[in-house]
Amino acid sequence: MRSSEGIPGGAARPTRRARRRIPDWLYGLGTVAALLALWEFASVQGWLGTHQLPPPSKLAGTFQQLLERGFPRGLTADVHIWATLWRIIRGYALATTLALPLGILIGASPLLDRATAPVITFARSVATISLLPLAVAWFGVGEETRIFLITYACFWIILTSVVDAVKGVPAVYIRAAETLGASRRQIFFQVMLPASLPRIFAGMRVALGVAFLVIVAVEMIGTVTGLGALIMEARTFYRSDIAVVGMIFIAIIGFAIAKVLDIAERLLLPWASSLDEVQR
Amino acid sequence: MKTVDAKIIVDRVTKQFDAGDPERDLALKDVSLAIADRQFVSIVGRSGCGKTTLLNMIAGLLHPSQGEIRVNGVPVTAPGPERGMVFQQSALFPWMTAIDNIEFGPKNQGVDKVTRRQQAQDLIELVRLRGFEHKYPRELSGGMQQRVAIARALANDPDILLMDEPFGALDELTRSEMQQELLRIWQARQKTVVFVTHSISEALFLSDRVIVLSPHPGRLRADIAVPLPRPRKRTDPAFMALYEEIHSAIF
Repeated sequence: MRSSEGIPGGAARPTRRARRRIPDWLYGLGTVAALLALWEFASVQGWLGTHQLPPPSKLAGTFQQLLERGFPRGLTADVHIWATLWRIIRGYALATTLALPLGILIGASPLLDRATAPVITFARSVATISLLPLAVAWFGVGEETRIFLITYACFWIILTSVVDAVKGVPAVYIRAAETLGASRRQIFFQVMLPASLPRIFAGMRVALGVAFLVIVAVEMIGTVTGLGALIMEARTFYRSDIAVVGMIFIAIIGFAIAKVLDIAERLLLPWASSLDEVQR
Repeated sequence: MKTVDAKIIVDRVTKQFDAGDPERDLALKDVSLAIADRQFVSIVGRSGCGKTTLLNMIAGLLHPSQGEIRVNGVPVTAPGPERGMVFQQSALFPWMTAIDNIEFGPKNQGVDKVTRRQQAQDLIELVRLRGFEHKYPRELSGGMQQRVAIARALANDPDILLMDEPFGALDELTRSEMQQELLRIWQARQKTVVFVTHSISEALFLSDRVIVLSPHPGRLRADIAVPLPRPRKRTDPAFMALYEEIHSAIF
């Protein structure tokens, strides 16, 4: 048998992986450190008032206070974080469960697509928070309202991405499957679905980001738990340090979840991430 | 040749599209053709001559507006596993490895796992891709991708291999290599091949017979036998004479 170099048709493409001395994240960390230093310096110089933007050195104490005593007292950081996460998980899961089958159905049917396109465009353009009064009228000020609004925000984004993904499956894949003797059902499950997954995944990722944007506003009424409620409560007591720490928590959680999704995508769709690599 | 013996019969086929462009909508007009079993036939012609349309109709992906196409005497109404197809650009499924792509047809025909894996391994050997069976298409070069595509089209063991400019996107060296490979595979597997191409030289190098179509509407312009022994040399005077003949039929 031939060696791989001798294989006609050319050798396999090498995966591009430049070797670097300094990893990317170290540059990012450097920038963060520099910004923190600048921030601290500006506070020490009196350019920033403590109530406008408390310095990092003060925030460390706030962190500790939030973790140990909580704010309001007894509601420690983990309680707030978990409350927020749990709302997002429920709203997001509900949106995904509804949008996936519906999106596939619409995407696979040109008639349904034409019929629903204006409604979807309209519903997606409605700013979620503007639905708050209506949602309160329907569901009261309890958890249902908050879950509903997160679901609403995520649902339309995921639905649109699923519809586009299914519509965007290259016709040549379907024709190839037909000439290989596959049935409609086999084509649906083995060609249409996997071919749409990368774009569906992209939409689900955007939707999760939006869930985090919406959650803060959604938690500003009717509850004392959650990071949004924490920030709102901090405003009432002029504790801008707590508001900033709440922001930081949200950012860290959002960042962590984006990373988890990255890893999940690499594991679930290895062929799609290698696709990125070629395009880079 | 008597039409009774023919593997593929194209019987007075007209294809009218309906996109609102009167000049281009009539893709094929009254084309008749008989292709013998195990013959290697190329269809050449300029863009718009309907050569891909004709191939797609033999595949069953499109339907004639008038006339009929018969394979083994049976009218074609839909794609079927006895007609394998290799497409122009890589139509491999990017979410499947090379060997899973090859097994796609047999798997959906209900061939059991052990048998189809064995057949796929044989095909990997045939197209000389051992060691690459678990690579994704994106990890393979253009030539290797088309090797997988050929193996995939052969996996249902079709009588007929339909090829739509399969080497059109390859660089010249790879292309010439793949032409030789295709002849080797064709001789090993004894298929009837219908090969659509832009390249006269590719058609002449490969085929027993070259069909020339003319554009707008697509009509049969010439049907030229290529009696040259293989392997053929492009510098052979007989080769060049046939090249001229086909060239003048096109223009």
